[in-house]
Amino acid sequence: MKLSPGAFQFNHIWNSFIFKFGTLVCFTLVIASCTRHQSKEPPNTLHLVVEAKLKGLDPILAEDRYSGTQSAQAYETLLQFHYLKRPYVVSPLLVEKLPDVSADGKVYTFTLRKGVLFQDDPCFKSTGGKGRELVAEDFVYSWKRLADPKLTSSGWWILDGRVVGLNAWRERAAKNGEKHYSEQVDGLRALDRYTLQVKLTQRSAQFLYLITMPFAAVVPHEAVDFYGKEFLNHAVGTGPFRLAEYHPSSKVVWVKNPTYRKAVYPEEGAPGDREAGLLADAGRAIPFADQVDVQVFVEQQPMWLSFLAGQLDISGIPKDNFSSSIGPGQELAPDLLAQGIRLIKEPVADVTHLSFNLEDPLLGKNKLLRQAMSLAFDQNTFNEIFYNGRAMAAQGPIPPGTDGYDIDFKNPYRQFNINKARELLAKAGYPGGRGLPPLEYATLAGSSGRQQSEFTTKMFAAIGIKLNTNTYSWPQFLETVKNKKAQIWEFAWGGDYPDGENFLQLFYSKNASPGQNDSNYRNPEFDRLYELSLTLPEGKQRTETYQKMVRILVEDCPWIFGSHRLSYILAQKWLKNYKPNDFSHSNYKYYRVDPSLKK
Amino acid sequence: MTTEAVIAPTVQPLPENEKFPPSRSLWGDALLRIKRDRIALICIGILSFYSIIALSCQLGWIATPWDKVVGAAYQPPSLSSIELIFGTDLFGRSVFYKVLHGTRIAMSVGLMSSLLSIPVGVTLGALAGYFGGWVDDLIVWFYTTISSIPNIMLLISVTFVLGKGLSAMYVALGVTAWVGLARVMRGEFIKHKSREYVLAAESLGAGHLSRIFKHILPNISHFIIINLSIQFVSAIKSEVILSFLGLGVQGQPSWGVMIDDAKLELSRGVWWQLAGATLAMFFVVLAFNLLGDSLRDALDPKLKH
Amino acid sequence: MFAYIVRKLLSTIPTLLGVALIVFVLFNLVGGDPTYQMLGRHANAQQIEEVRHEYGFDQSQPVQFLNYLKQIVTFDYGRSYSTRQSISQMIGDGIVPSLSLMIPAFLLTTLLSIAIGLGAAYFRGQAIDRVTVILCIFGMSLPMLGYILFGQYFFAFKLGWFPISGYETAWPDRIQYILMPMAIFVLVSLGYDVRFYRTAILEETSQDYVRTARAKGLSEPVIFFRHVLKNSMVPILTNIVIEIPLLILGAFLLESFFGIPGLGSITIDAVNNSDFPVIKAMTTLVAFLYILGNLATDVLYTLVDPRVRLK
Repeated sequence: MKLSPGAFQFNHIWNSFIFKFGTLVCFTLVIASCTRHQSKEPPNTLHLVVEAKLKGLDPILAEDRYSGTQSAQAYETLLQFHYLKRPYVVSPLLVEKLPDVSADGKVYTFTLRKGVLFQDDPCFKSTGGKGRELVAEDFVYSWKRLADPKLTSSGWWILDGRVVGLNAWRERAAKNGEKHYSEQVDGLRALDRYTLQVKLTQRSAQFLYLITMPFAAVVPHEAVDFYGKEFLNHAVGTGPFRLAEYHPSSKVVWVKNPTYRKAVYPEEGAPGDREAGLLADAGRAIPFADQVDVQVFVEQQPMWLSFLAGQLDISGIPKDNFSSSIGPGQELAPDLLAQGIRLIKEPVADVTHLSFNLEDPLLGKNKLLRQAMSLAFDQNTFNEIFYNGRAMAAQGPIPPGTDGYDIDFKNPYRQFNINKARELLAKAGYPGGRGLPPLEYATLAGSSGRQQSEFTTKMFAAIGIKLNTNTYSWPQFLETVKNKKAQIWEFAWGGDYPDGENFLQLFYSKNASPGQNDSNYRNPEFDRLYELSLTLPEGKQRTETYQKMVRILVEDCPWIFGSHRLSYILAQKWLKNYKPNDFSHSNYKYYRVDPSLKK
Repeated sequence: MTTEAVIAPTVQPLPENEKFPPSRSLWGDALLRIKRDRIALICIGILSFYSIIALSCQLGWIATPWDKVVGAAYQPPSLSSIELIFGTDLFGRSVFYKVLHGTRIAMSVGLMSSLLSIPVGVTLGALAGYFGGWVDDLIVWFYTTISSIPNIMLLISVTFVLGKGLSAMYVALGVTAWVGLARVMRGEFIKHKSREYVLAAESLGAGHLSRIFKHILPNISHFIIINLSIQFVSAIKSEVILSFLGLGVQGQPSWGVMIDDAKLELSRGVWWQLAGATLAMFFVVLAFNLLGDSLRDALDPKLKH
Repeated sequence: MFAYIVRKLLSTIPTLLGVALIVFVLFNLVGGDPTYQMLGRHANAQQIEEVRHEYGFDQSQPVQFLNYLKQIVTFDYGRSYSTRQSISQMIGDGIVPSLSLMIPAFLLTTLLSIAIGLGAAYFRGQAIDRVTVILCIFGMSLPMLGYILFGQYFFAFKLGWFPISGYETAWPDRIQYILMPMAIFVLVSLGYDVRFYRTAILEETSQDYVRTARAKGLSEPVIFFRHVLKNSMVPILTNIVIEIPLLILGAFLLESFFGIPGLGSITIDAVNNSDFPVIKAMTTLVAFLYILGNLATDVLYTLVDPRVRLK
């Protein structure tokens, strides 16, 4: 790499090089000196957060909660869960009233609100960009999209097998493609401009819950045709906010939709809502915010620091910041309290668990071994370490606040008891763990996955059971689990709707892997009760059936039931009307920022 | 990562006109220089100390068991006992013990990945430089291809393929690290193969293998030593990055895992895991860097000014 | 010269093929199946089959490899599995943040390190040189994650000098988000670069022509600034050119920690999500730029030094 000393033609390159460098540095310094410049945004802008990168705004692809929530700001569904009322109740959104249901419970008739407009968008070519009125035919189209096999929606399950003729349409569409959209589906028809009729294959108590999910939102065919494959980066719905900026990995900006119909803040709520100031805006027109800035934070640390710096309106509390923000009596730390920050606690309808693979020859046949492991896992200590006590040990799959939950029930195999665990392990044929090969444990790569697996390993080591931990990326993890390649793994299920059925279907034999019954549990008696429960209306009989199913599960021990988590959310003093809601998705319209409380 | 690109040229092939004295006096001379270099001696001392700690942990002489609960969660450092000198972690385990065991992981990662990458790099570089022709073309093609793929992606994908864990990490770091050495070796072999001493050996009937390994290699072996110090440093640093990405060791305390934990702990004021791991890492990397410089100066006198 | 460049470009084809083969084997054959992730936990067997068919996972491996080669030639990698964005769009979106961080960071590093390297080389052997070298080694010996965690906690949070994380597309605003990652990049790379440039310059001072110049009685500053410096610009520029393609991937750690949606964080996400189309596109892009960088270096040499003949 030696060069000659005589390279003098190099002179001019050298000089211009120095010059350019100099200019650039001056430029950088000048710009740098005018930092901390505030962009012009309306004073009542909401600053919110999503904790994962977004996967597009097309409602039928809104598989994860984060994308679903964003999509729901622009796209609306027929019904929604009431924002304030608890227990959760379904209330009208795009319909005038709750649907009429036939006597056999199979035919639903929805009457759409009149005068609901799609947002103005260039895709409406015939009107020069003015959004047209929503009609019942739009729902027929949108739900066919959900069924279209070419679009590979992850939300197809909400309609799969439920609507008369839709599965047959899907099969024909797989062969013939696009033109099948014009083909009638018997169970899904627009009777007139504003009337939608849905015929179900069988009575389903869950149907109305299912169609509140963002998957079932209405999209105009003009936008789908106009944007083609880029449709997922646009949002042309009937919703309260219009998309202003969309950067799926960093930021989304919503602005108030000027053509939004007249809608008001709820006038009724749950007990205590009035005292909490949640009804102060009752009857006022929504949305309140002129703009919503949603920032993507994948790492918790910067999110937390941004909240403390007042750059975010709400934030969860990372586990390692818990003790500095929440005192021993579960009250807010004085320094945060002094800033006017509020602490809002709300149970999450979820259940964490360790799944056993019941098709594994070792674990599947040895109920006593599973029960012994269940007894050896100290859930309360786990909750203390990883959730700072913001979780309750689960006794079964159904979380509190959900039909089927039994507050008095104590799972005999979930009361931490190491002696009894040892006893059962000996009965299972492995006294002191002797003769038991190390079990293959699958977990997700990442700091918390690693810390939790260290804890789990230690718990089982106490009774002599060894774990081999394998960490995976998310797709690898799913692949391993769905192909039944691991023996034990950790997982969590967040409820899709507040009904025990959503948790019990995780054990129905027909949902076995690659379906959602990932432990491959099979029990004919359980299946019989599950099928029975589907036909039952809400009420005592159904609740009792659910509880009977839970007792069967507990005895068979396909999971080590983990916890139901509690969310602790902090809100800045200028954020009004915030109430956590697991099941309604379009909540930004209710939030209000009081600019006078912001410094 | 820019580091690779920046490190590599510092072990540039020697200029054409440089004449080395025969091998023994090169090493003898180097040894003398090192002995006179106080910094180098201190570095050797530090590295020996780390090695002893690593070995003692490996053999279970000290800091065993590392996962014993010695206090409450996140207890700050205190001088009350040796276990608490760096405080405790989330599970109440001694951070000091974790740092010591992290030393074992770091040293073993550096050592094992070097043991894997050096033979590969030397052999391929030697074959390419010595034989030339299609062998050279093939090997150069191979390492150009490897070095065209960003190092971090190679590392990640190899750990994915091999599964995760310590041995996977050895291999991943080993198979991605030989390129720089192979490149240097090739250049040196091209230069040396037509030198008088090699030609003389040939005329005395030395075969290819003998010429490669008995005659040329000893004359350029100092590049391997210099490469070793670079490899150690980059292995220790890569371990941190892999742990941050969740691909690090499982169920064992490594500095990378500790720093990864620290990203969550820092804002609650728990700084001791970060400090412990960073300091431990700082001194060993510093020692390797300084020693690498001294070695280069000692073995490559041209750069000594 | 033109023929030389063409020939050189053609000679990159085997390398690109090699990259393609390695990437394919590492990621496609063993890198995880994205189907389940696309469909979520409610997937059933029929849907899995449909997705496999729709995305061509059910085709044989050789056919998939040929498709990949076709994509390389046509620069059409399709859409990401995990974000469902078109890949050209993703690269287009990601390159701006990456470059707005890396260009100033890189220029600043290079400028500072050349200046410091010059100083150290000029005062070689003196105290100032020694201190510089030691400081460089100190800087090199701290892990980048340490810098990041400390910087975010102390400068951004405690002192509030910078936002903690994030990115803004509007211009003057963007700078505040870039300043700290940029500073960290400069601090981390400075040690290596200063040492490299110092060595490059010192190597030049041991050349024969320097001795000749001294013998001719030229003063030390004249020799140093007029001759040595000019000639050592060649290895310096080479180093710069070689580093440029690596800048495209950015500093992925910085990007993911500071929430900068650049190519580095796109790539890491893609690997974690088994997002094969993105991985293919990114590796091919970086490999191609790397090869181009090498080519540019060769051409630079021939421009600077007429003795280097083109084969």
